[in-house]
Amino acid sequence: MERFLDVAIAGLLLGGLYALIAMGMSLQYGVARVFNIAHGEFIMLGAMTTWTLYTVFNISPLVAVVICGPLAFVLGFIIHRTMFRKLQSLSANQGVFESNSMLASFGLMFVIQNIAFLAWGPEIRTYNYLMETVSIGGALFGARRLVTLGFAIAIGVIFYIFLARTRIGKAIRAAGQDPSTAGLMGVNINWVLALCFGLGAAMAGIAGVLISMSYPDSANMGQEYLTVAIIVVVLGGLGSIPGSFIGGFLLGIIGSIVSFYEPGLNMAAYYAIFVILLLVRPRGIMGR
Amino acid sequence: MLEVSNISTFYGQIQVLWDICFKISDGEILALIGANGAGKTTLLNTISGVLRPNSGTITFLGQRIDGLAPHAIVELGISHIPEGRKLFSDMSVQENLEMGAYIDRAWKHRRETLEKVFEFFPRLKERAGQLARTLSGGEQQMLAMGRGLMSRPKLCIIDEPSNGLAPKLVQEVFQIIKSLREQGITILLIEQNVRQTLEVADRACVLENGRMALEGCCEDLLKSDHVRKAYLGL
Ligand SMILES: Nc1ncnc2c1ncn2[C@@H]1O[C@H](COP(=O)(O)OP(=O)(O)OP(=O)(O)O)[C@@H](O)[C@H]1O
Ligand SMILES: [Mg+2]
Repeated sequence: MERFLDVAIAGLLLGGLYALIAMGMSLQYGVARVFNIAHGEFIMLGAMTTWTLYTVFNISPLVAVVICGPLAFVLGFIIHRTMFRKLQSLSANQGVFESNSMLASFGLMFVIQNIAFLAWGPEIRTYNYLMETVSIGGALFGARRLVTLGFAIAIGVIFYIFLARTRIGKAIRAAGQDPSTAGLMGVNINWVLALCFGLGAAMAGIAGVLISMSYPDSANMGQEYLTVAIIVVVLGGLGSIPGSFIGGFLLGIIGSIVSFYEPGLNMAAYYAIFVILLLVRPRGIMGR
Repeated sequence: MLEVSNISTFYGQIQVLWDICFKISDGEILALIGANGAGKTTLLNTISGVLRPNSGTITFLGQRIDGLAPHAIVELGISHIPEGRKLFSDMSVQENLEMGAYIDRAWKHRRETLEKVFEFFPRLKERAGQLARTLSGGEQQMLAMGRGLMSRPKLCIIDEPSNGLAPKLVQEVFQIIKSLREQGITILLIEQNVRQTLEVADRACVLENGRMALEGCCEDLLKSDHVRKAYLGL
């Protein structure tokens, strides 16, 4: 029973991170219709920037959240306003845009990765921060991982309220359902799409900050997190933000159960779930 | 109020509208009639900015609006109630109405406007919390019209509001359109019920194969042999 609790809590801790990563990707795909292969690179940028801020400038990773989040937002917003906007006007229809934008995000992934290699080199970076442990139900957990979970849940809840209650949040949902009709209501659609892409990038950037507190970082760390994001996004239902939130926790718990028996098999288990999912229920938990 | 001159619109290489010209004056109901595929919806989409004309100009209250984005055109006071309702199906009735009031000018007054719309469509008030996709067809059309009014438009362009409705509801739709005019809203109406449309409208334009074939006051059109044969089945 105690073991069970350990595994469940470890799963929640991991799941919070996955949920955050996947929500960002889901927002970018669900509304802006960009299946962003470069999503992992925004995570990497968040993590590596946090490492630099902490080890070089002695700025706390918690402060890095409010630096990296907005920076990633601005970067994402600008990339959408320039590259994806241009691509949209060149694409004959949404279908063409979706495939073109995915290819373009592939290119973006390599560009960001190469710049990161130039800036940070290939070394694996780690730092020690908030190393205290907290005991929950007898098991010990790193305080930094609880902070991560707290951030993931807070961002999930705030974002949900933002979508449900605010004027811009409603415009985002409307644009996700029918961009052309949202335009007829007076929504500046190109602006909303860029906003969503930027918010997705900000979530990735913040996830990167949180990841760097618990895990080693390097310029090519993005790949692994991209894979997790894709699996969770499909698991939750393509483009469904609540689905991604729930799916993230679900995958985290599965990951933690698998690690309990065989630590090296995490990723293999994720791929297996992914394949089974595609065969059995390709629209995911919340998809229609 | 609205002046459309020499509008031509293409889908890719295919031309659908040819040199369309017409005017709407303040406070009138102008009907646009034509067979399926004549280009009526294309014309409305060109006015509301969803499509860009390849040539010609559109002027609204003295300002050129061709080439503006749809959101800029709504802000000037044109509300387009699209064909097929186009509701936000996963949002509630209330949220759909709020989206109608998205522009700054309307957002400030959304509560008052909402009350007015609920007076017009008491059904919507009862169902305010329900998801749009669970409404009946008639209720959905009421919602589409209510949503279109939430932006406090000067000109409403309405594409086939009675499509798919039972005769009794069709009557209701025409009543609503008349009362909108009484509230000072100018209306451009597309309808398949040609006889009833010609009865409520002041003037009508007939679109045939993307060209303006006839234009005139409704009484004259009701007497025209061509209209009687082609559109009234007489
Ligand atoms: N997105 C599109 N791409 C290409 N052609 C289109 C598109 N939309 C409409 N058309 C074509 O343009 C022509 C006019 O269509 P439109 O929808 O404007 O007709 P309509 O008069 O509104 O017809 P209906 O009474 O059936 O609604 C038709 O021949 C149609 O096939
Ligand atoms: Mg039509």
